[in-house]
Amino acid sequence: MYNTKVRGVLIEGNKSYHDISVDVTTPLLTDRTPKWWWIASALASAMLIWGIWGFYNTIANGIGTWGLNNSVSWGWAIINFVWWIGIGHAGTAFSIFLLVLHQKWRTSINRAAEAMTIFAVMAAGMFPLIHMGRIWDGFFIFPYPNSRGPLWDNFNSPLFWDVTAISTYLTASFLFWYMGMVPDFATIRERTLSPIKKKVYSILSFGWIGNARGWLRYETAAILMGGLTAPLVVSVHSIVAMDFAAGIVPGWHSIIFPPFFVVGAIFSGFSMVLTLMIIVRKVYKYENYVTKAHLDAITRILTFISLIMGVAYVTEVFMAWYSDSPYELYVFFKNRLVGEYAFEFWAMVSCNAIIPQLFWFKKMRSNVTVVFIISILVNVGMWFERFTIVVTSLSKTWLPSTWHTYYPTFTEIAIFVGTLGFFFLGILLFLRFLPMMAISELKGILKETSNDKKIIENEIK
Amino acid sequence: MKSNSHILGVFDDPDTISSAVDELLKNNIVVKDVFSPFPLEHVWKKLKLKTRIPLATFLYGAFGTASVYAFLYWSSVVNYPLIFGGKPANSLSFVIIMFVIAILSGVIFTLLTFLIREKLWPGKHVELPDPRTTDDKFVIVIEESQQMDEVSVQKIDDLLKSSGAVEVKISNN
Repeated sequence: MYNTKVRGVLIEGNKSYHDISVDVTTPLLTDRTPKWWWIASALASAMLIWGIWGFYNTIANGIGTWGLNNSVSWGWAIINFVWWIGIGHAGTAFSIFLLVLHQKWRTSINRAAEAMTIFAVMAAGMFPLIHMGRIWDGFFIFPYPNSRGPLWDNFNSPLFWDVTAISTYLTASFLFWYMGMVPDFATIRERTLSPIKKKVYSILSFGWIGNARGWLRYETAAILMGGLTAPLVVSVHSIVAMDFAAGIVPGWHSIIFPPFFVVGAIFSGFSMVLTLMIIVRKVYKYENYVTKAHLDAITRILTFISLIMGVAYVTEVFMAWYSDSPYELYVFFKNRLVGEYAFEFWAMVSCNAIIPQLFWFKKMRSNVTVVFIISILVNVGMWFERFTIVVTSLSKTWLPSTWHTYYPTFTEIAIFVGTLGFFFLGILLFLRFLPMMAISELKGILKETSNDKKIIENEIK
Repeated sequence: MKSNSHILGVFDDPDTISSAVDELLKNNIVVKDVFSPFPLEHVWKKLKLKTRIPLATFLYGAFGTASVYAFLYWSSVVNYPLIFGGKPANSLSFVIIMFVIAILSGVIFTLLTFLIREKLWPGKHVELPDPRTTDDKFVIVIEESQQMDEVSVQKIDDLLKSSGAVEVKISNN
C-alpha cells in the first residue's frame, strides 16, 4: 500500500532482530547505572525539591505569594500550564497521528514521545491545582452529589471542559503508552537473568505470550485506542484555547485561537521530542535507530508548522487593525508590537516564525547542533507566546488606573523550575527502567526498511 | 496447553514462516498457534482469525456518549436547572463533554476487553513454548493428537523442515 522507499533506510547498521532486542534492553538490564544518570537525576531532584518548597509556600501562605495583582489574575501558572500541555501534545501527535497515517518512521521515537506526554501533562496539571488556592477543595471541580442543592458544575464552561479533556487525555495517553510496552516487557522478562528484574517485568508484562490471536487482538485494540485518542490532540488544546477565547478580553476574544493553539502545541511538542531524542541518541549511541533521516523528517514538519505560526501571528495583527476596535488596536499596536512587552512579542515571533525557517536549507537540517539549538529556541519562543497572550492582554485592562506590570515572584519561579525537575526526573527514570524504543514495532519494520545484508541474503536463498 | 505434546517448528524469518503456514494448510494440517516477536498480519489472515473488538469499541463509545448525555440532561434540566449566560438548560455545548467521554469510555473499555479476552493480568505466570519467540524466532505450534501415528508426525516434521524451519522439536506441555 505504501512505498517505504520514500523514507529510505530507517534502521541503519545491519541490525538483526536479536540486535534490536539487545540494543534496546541493554541500558535497563545492566546493573551499573551510568554516572551521568546519577548527576542528571540529582540535578532534577534538586529542582523538584525547590518546586516542592514553592508548592508548600503557596499552600501555606496563599496565592498572595505570587506576583498576581488586580488585573493580572493569571500569571505564570496559566502560562506554564499551557506551555506544558503544548509539550504534552508531542507523544500523542507523534505516535498516534503517525500510526493512523501508517508512517513507519515513528517507531524509534514514539515510545519516548509518549513518555514525554505523560510527564508533561502531569506537570501541567499541577498548575491549575495549585492555582485553586485551596488545593484541598480540588475535588469541587468534579460533578459529584453535594449538599449545596446539589449544585452541579457549569457544563457550558471551557474550564470544566478542560477538566474532562485533560484528565481524559492523561488517562488515554497513559493506557496507550502502557499497552505499547506490554510485548516489550515480555521480551525483557525472557531476556533478564536477575531474578528481581524477572519478577518485576513479568508482573508488568501481564503474561504476554505473543501468539497469533493475541497479536491480532493487540493490533486491533491499539489502532482503535490510537484512533480514538487522536481527536483528543485537537480537542484538548482547542478547549485550552477556549479558556481564553471565550473571554471578552482584547487580544483573546478571537476565533483563530483554537487552531492556532493546536498547531502551536504540536510545534512545541515536536521540538521537545527533537531536543530529547538528540540527547538520547548521543548518550545511548542510538544513531542507527534515530537516524539523520528521522531528524530530517521532524525538522521538515517543524518548518511547515512554523509557517503556520507565522501566518497566525500576522493574521492576529491584521485582524486587530481590520476590526477597528480601539481596544484590539491598543493591545496589538501599543502593547505588543511596541511598548512594555515588545521584547517578549518579538522573541516569540523570531523563535517561532523566523528562526525555524533556517530549516529550508539542507545544511542546517543535517547539522545536529543547529537542529538542537533551534529545537530549544522553539520551546523558548512558545513560552514567550503564552506569556505575550496572557500578560499583555491582562496587564492593561479597561481602567487605566488598574494598569499594573506583572513580575513573577520567587515562589512562582520555584514552582516552574520544580515542574521542570519533575519532568526531567520522570524522563530519566523512564530511560533507566523502561524500554525507550518500541522493540516489537522496530522489528516489525526492520525487514521492509533496513539495508541489512543478512536479511537480503536470506531472501535470495 | 493441555497434556498433549506439540510439534514446534522454529523459523527465523517472518516471510518463511508465512509460506510455511501456507504449506501446512495445503496439507490439511491444523496449525494450533503461531508465536512471533511482532505481529504477522499475513499469518492471522491465513489462519482466518477474526476479532470483534471494533464492534465492542463502537458500543462502548455509544454507551459513554449516551450515559454522559443522560447525566448532563438530568443534572442541568431535571435536577437543578440554572441559567448560565442566557444559554438554554439543555445546551449544545454538552456535545464537547459527550465527545470527550465517548473517547474515554471507548479507550478504557477497549483495553479492558482486550485484557479479559486475552486473559492477561499483572503477574500472570506463563511458560512460552520457546522463549526466543520474544526475541528473534518465530514458532509454529502443531498439536500432536492421539490419532497421529509416527508417519504423520514424520510428515509434519519434513514439511516444516522443507519449508524453511531452522529447528523442529517436540514439546511435552
